Amino acid sequence: MIQDQQVPRNALAWIILSLFTLVAPHAARLPVWVLAVYAIAAGWRIMVYRGRWSFPGRRVKLALILTAFLGIFASYGSLLGLEPTVALLLTAFALKLIELAGRKDAYVLLFLGYFICITQFLFSQSLPVVLYSLCNVVLVTSALVALHRPGEHQFNRGSMRLAVTMLAQALPLMLVLFFLFPRIGPLWTVPVKSHTAKTGVSDFMQPGDIAQLSKSDAVAFRVQFDGPIPPRSELYWRGLVFSRLADGAWSSLPYYAIPARERRAAAVTTAAPPLQYRVILAPTQQHWLYSLRYARSSTPGVMSSADYRLFFPQEIEDDTLYSVSSWPRATLELQLSAWRRRTELSLPPGSNPRSRELAQRLRAAAASDAEFVDAVLTHLRTRGFAYTLQPPLLDGTHPMDQFLFRTRRGFCEHYAYAFVVLMRAAGVPARVVAGYQGGEINPVNRTVIVRQFDAHAWAEVWLPGEGWVRVDPTTSVSPERIEWGLEQALQAEGSFLADSPLSPLRYRRFAWVNQLRLRYDALAFQWQSAVVGFNSERQVQVLGRLLGEFSAAKFAALLLGTWALVLLPVALALLRRRQVPQLSALDRAYLQFCDKLAGRGVARAPGESPGRYAQRVVSALPASAAQVRQLTATYCDLAYAGREQTKTSLRQFAREVKAFRPRQ
Amino acid sequence: MPSRVGFFFGLCLLLMLLTAINYENNMSYALTFLLATLFVVATLHTYANLSGLTIRAVRAQAVFPGQQSEFVVAIERGGRHDHCALRAQWPHGSQALFNLVDADSAQLRLQVPVARRGWHHPGRLLLESTYPLGLLRCWTWIDLDLQALVYPQPLPSTALPGAAAQRPDGASLPVPGSDDFYGFRAYRPGDSPRQVYWKGLARERGLQTKQYTAYTGSGTWLDWDLFPGLGTEQRLSQLCYWALALHARNEEYGLRLPGVVIAPAAGEQHRDQVLRELALYRVQAPPR
Repeated sequence: MIQDQQVPRNALAWIILSLFTLVAPHAARLPVWVLAVYAIAAGWRIMVYRGRWSFPGRRVKLALILTAFLGIFASYGSLLGLEPTVALLLTAFALKLIELAGRKDAYVLLFLGYFICITQFLFSQSLPVVLYSLCNVVLVTSALVALHRPGEHQFNRGSMRLAVTMLAQALPLMLVLFFLFPRIGPLWTVPVKSHTAKTGVSDFMQPGDIAQLSKSDAVAFRVQFDGPIPPRSELYWRGLVFSRLADGAWSSLPYYAIPARERRAAAVTTAAPPLQYRVILAPTQQHWLYSLRYARSSTPGVMSSADYRLFFPQEIEDDTLYSVSSWPRATLELQLSAWRRRTELSLPPGSNPRSRELAQRLRAAAASDAEFVDAVLTHLRTRGFAYTLQPPLLDGTHPMDQFLFRTRRGFCEHYAYAFVVLMRAAGVPARVVAGYQGGEINPVNRTVIVRQFDAHAWAEVWLPGEGWVRVDPTTSVSPERIEWGLEQALQAEGSFLADSPLSPLRYRRFAWVNQLRLRYDALAFQWQSAVVGFNSERQVQVLGRLLGEFSAAKFAALLLGTWALVLLPVALALLRRRQVPQLSALDRAYLQFCDKLAGRGVARAPGESPGRYAQRVVSALPASAAQVRQLTATYCDLAYAGREQTKTSLRQFAREVKAFRPRQ
Repeated sequence: MPSRVGFFFGLCLLLMLLTAINYENNMSYALTFLLATLFVVATLHTYANLSGLTIRAVRAQAVFPGQQSEFVVAIERGGRHDHCALRAQWPHGSQALFNLVDADSAQLRLQVPVARRGWHHPGRLLLESTYPLGLLRCWTWIDLDLQALVYPQPLPSTALPGAAAQRPDGASLPVPGSDDFYGFRAYRPGDSPRQVYWKGLARERGLQTKQYTAYTGSGTWLDWDLFPGLGTEQRLSQLCYWALALHARNEEYGLRLPGVVIAPAAGEQHRDQVLRELALYRVQAPPR
């Protein structure tokens, strides 16, 4: 007899397998010792299975649990926050394996496994992660099925087949629920990711920061324009505005440093039709959003600041979709307030004396601020400045004097820094803008892919009668950077993505690699915008298009209708197999024979053996005696006497029965 | 119907849904819904696992009260579809867990304790399964026309009282234990192995049975009236004990109950017939 509550060996194998596939994607975020716990737990359980070791006693278990808590606390410095919680969950998962004895433990373990799949999504919802998690769900479900196939002592894939079948049947139902389930906001605040590094442009810029960023080929954001894509040289994605220079670093104005009446942007007249686009921003753990010049957003929660930036009140922890309308030609801030002018002119006293002197000399020679701007750009273009990803280090006291008169080698932030210092020194309001410039246009779905190496810094100067005007000093030094991007600008130096030899971007010259990469990127964009970015706003939109006016009855009809559409065929396929086994060809022929005799008034009694029936028939219908005897004998031979049932013998018998005409 | 595990699973789903809502995480929503709908699909699979089975009663073992009767049930599957982790159980009886994966049918031997003399009907057979996910329990009660015969409880007494007085021919009375060896006869199926002349077999004389005989040739009558003053059940118990005792000694004996007479004979078939009459004395005919 098979034991009911024990875990079949097959199921144990499935459980251990899924254990490791579940922890794998978390591995990079976990302390090494948690992975060691996994190896030990699996080893221990296998030893228990082999009968060498025993299950841990209560004291050992208690000690293990306490050690796990202490270990997590020691590794993360806290038990709160998303990472420690997930690490704790994963450790508990491994420890539970050690004491896996009965079916009840297995349920706890496997349901925990499903939950671990979900925690993976809190870190990333990208397509590969989702597909991998789907595999994990299949494995855990297979383990669950294997748990209910008692007496299977060999590892086999039978349970996986059923798991896949069931999940495939559940998938369409899930999709319906996914689109119909109302998206309500968070019910309470939850632990947030604590140990993720902030990525992208930071709100603090020192020379060298953006050069550092340019070593990464990670996607910063993707943009899809409703209309045609503007030329590359116009794609200045503003993220941050640095108005304050202190201690050799640029930073944005903190909120509290701005007087209350200066916190709102001055009204902007927007006559021309705007550029409309949607941005999917990869998590940055920062507040600000990227957009083209003079942007407004209709996405709930997006706010704009006095220096015409967009930002979110919360940090961006997940892929975030927002839609923007931009007016690149709009005039910004024709009148500069006294406070604003003072702020955008301030320089640390006594710093960079040679640069100040140069600025004042150039300004004196120029007729207007605009001419002065041109003079400075000409200076940068003609005095042997070079654009490089590996600039020499600048010391702290007078960095721009050093840069402008000695090293003359720098990345975009050096040029933006120097330019704004020169402007301010000559009394022209100016500020550094940080963000991204350009991006790769994916012809597959007409999106712009902006990567970290597109990070850029440029300047804005305030000119009377024109307001804030964008000036990019890097153009003077390296026009290729703006026209073609970083790779072209650095072609001679060979430093483009020098640290990531495997990046597909380095292999763009192979057409098929590039095609594959762009296709995948288009798919990833589609995934992010349609599925991951699906929110209540989109839901209302889609449902409105589908149902017309919204009503509860239509909603219920849609839900039930689609479910029935899926469930009915499944139910039919499953239950059709209930039919009774069909009669063999031999029995069918014999029953036909009996029917013919019954037509002559001699019906076979239920349970009457063929031999006895034949005797009765022979006495009732003596004219057919020989035939009846012969057919019955053949039937008995084939059915009972073990004569081989070949196709020909069966067909022969059927033919004889067909030809048989009983006579009175 | 969700099993206890199913409710636990529901609780886990709720937790997952809360996670999805609080993190506004679409993939978490998707996974939660996938598992929820897996639950729905599982109802069909669990039901299908139990459907399409044919259950036949095979036989039930006749036993004495307090013993376990073995009920044999055959289960066949209708199609090629695998049936896994089916659990069959009679109320208060032992359970059997079985698969129909490689075989088309399975024979189950289920022990059920019996209590009283007569026909024991074990009630309806419970057939249930939580396959494939253990989240749902599908079950059915099957009323099988299968009952076990329960003999009277044998009640030992030191001697068979007053047997002589009842003998119609007045011949001398056989005292239990006074058997004499009489001779050999050819082995007949049903003879007790204790009476087989094994040495003869070793001497290549074939299977022979040793015959003992009491003083009488016509056998003992186990008579209802031998036990005056006793209740029906006690009388039947005493008769049962003596029937077994005489059978063990391979003596011939007959049974005389009000309305029932069985001529003296020996052998297992005879014993079974006698015990059956004792078991069914004044017992209502089984339903159907």
